[in-house]
Amino acid sequence: MTRRNTATSSPRNGITLGSDRYAGRGDTLLFLVCVGLSFAAMSLPDHLRGPLARGLRQTVLAPLLALQEESQLLAASLSRYQTVVAQRDSAMLAATFLPELRSENDRLRGLLGLGQRLGSGYVAAEVLHQSLPTSPLTLLASAGQKEGVRPLAAVVSPEGLLGIVSAVDVQTCVVVTWAHPEFRASAMAADGSVYGIISPHGTEGARSWLLELRGVPYRETVPNGTQILTSGLGGVFPRGIPIGTVIGLAGEAEGWERTYLVRPAVHPAAASHVVILTGGHGSGDVRSAFQQAGESQ
Amino acid sequence: MRRTDKYRFWAVLAGLVVLQFSLRTRLGDDRTAPDFMLLALLIYAIRAPAGRGAAAGFLVGLLRDALAPASFGAGALAHTIVGYLAARSKAVFFAENLFVNAWMFFAGTWVRNCLVALLSGQLRGGLLGWELLVWSPVQSLTTALVGVLVLWVFGRQLAIRMSDA
Repeated sequence: MTRRNTATSSPRNGITLGSDRYAGRGDTLLFLVCVGLSFAAMSLPDHLRGPLARGLRQTVLAPLLALQEESQLLAASLSRYQTVVAQRDSAMLAATFLPELRSENDRLRGLLGLGQRLGSGYVAAEVLHQSLPTSPLTLLASAGQKEGVRPLAAVVSPEGLLGIVSAVDVQTCVVVTWAHPEFRASAMAADGSVYGIISPHGTEGARSWLLELRGVPYRETVPNGTQILTSGLGGVFPRGIPIGTVIGLAGEAEGWERTYLVRPAVHPAAASHVVILTGGHGSGDVRSAFQQAGESQ
Repeated sequence: MRRTDKYRFWAVLAGLVVLQFSLRTRLGDDRTAPDFMLLALLIYAIRAPAGRGAAAGFLVGLLRDALAPASFGAGALAHTIVGYLAARSKAVFFAENLFVNAWMFFAGTWVRNCLVALLSGQLRGGLLGWELLVWSPVQSLTTALVGVLVLWVFGRQLAIRMSDA
């Protein structure tokens, strides 16, 4: 243990240890001193051990402990940050649905109010949207023969006319919306001054989701903003269901009739719940029910 | 040996000490995470005279004891012995070999843990067995792996001899 090993450069083992010494007397003595001090530390009574440890922590180890604390704070901050980010993402996701939920809530409230105002002779149904390009032309509604739905029943939403039932199954029915090329309805201006036939404007171009009011006598003019309602003529639709609002002149037929563009009151794609009028309204005016619905919204 | 290499040697050791108090807390279970401070001691002791290795071990152990007063003194004694033996080991082993260094890191950590566990008298029965046979070997392994990585990255700086410094 106390030998002095000079271990100079040795061609035999190839290491260049130079003047390194492994363990001299001084080294051994230092080792023994350290061992003795260690035993002394082990045998320290608690009332001395505590202050000594505290002194080391508050002096030599203080910056290292501060570093450790900062590191743990940073780790905790990162963890909290990730939690906060996750919460924020969840909130954002929920917020994206909030307007839609509010809108649906409003529609449901509107339907509820409309049903109360209509009294009887209606069935509430849910629109079963399909992911097809033609789905706005015909809708599937969750009410059928069991609920008393019949063909040619008017389908409305709180905003106005959506379409007409074309086929009825036991539990569902097919609704031809106003966007369907074959849809027609007798219509009138809100004041009853002008009558005509409402039909879809077309399936091409920017105006494809508009209606047109045809057959308006040439001498009659319909100002923009005029509300168009069902007229009740023909007995299919009750009188007074809002169809849309006139937004301009679409064309004139050689001096004897005019055609007006009408912005629909409700878009088929926006309808999630509808009311199917099953009877009892006859040609009676249901205008008041929709006016109150419009006012309540 | 260039003066800059000497500074780099100490910088590497200081970096290991910093890692002990910054990175180690994020490396999972405290019982298995690599002991950067002991690694710094071993790297120093392997390249230092035995007396300095023992003294460095005593200081490191005393500081560790200050952080874990339940075994006050045991850490100092264990680190002293490990530091001394590591310094003496280069009379026996080919200390420049990476595998030998890895083995010394492993053995040094395991011996240190065994000494602390036994000298402190805090662990008994199955707990002692788990510490000696499971947790200590795992920590020794992770420490040895980090040691090899350090020697591989900073091999040139750590090849410095203390007698040259």
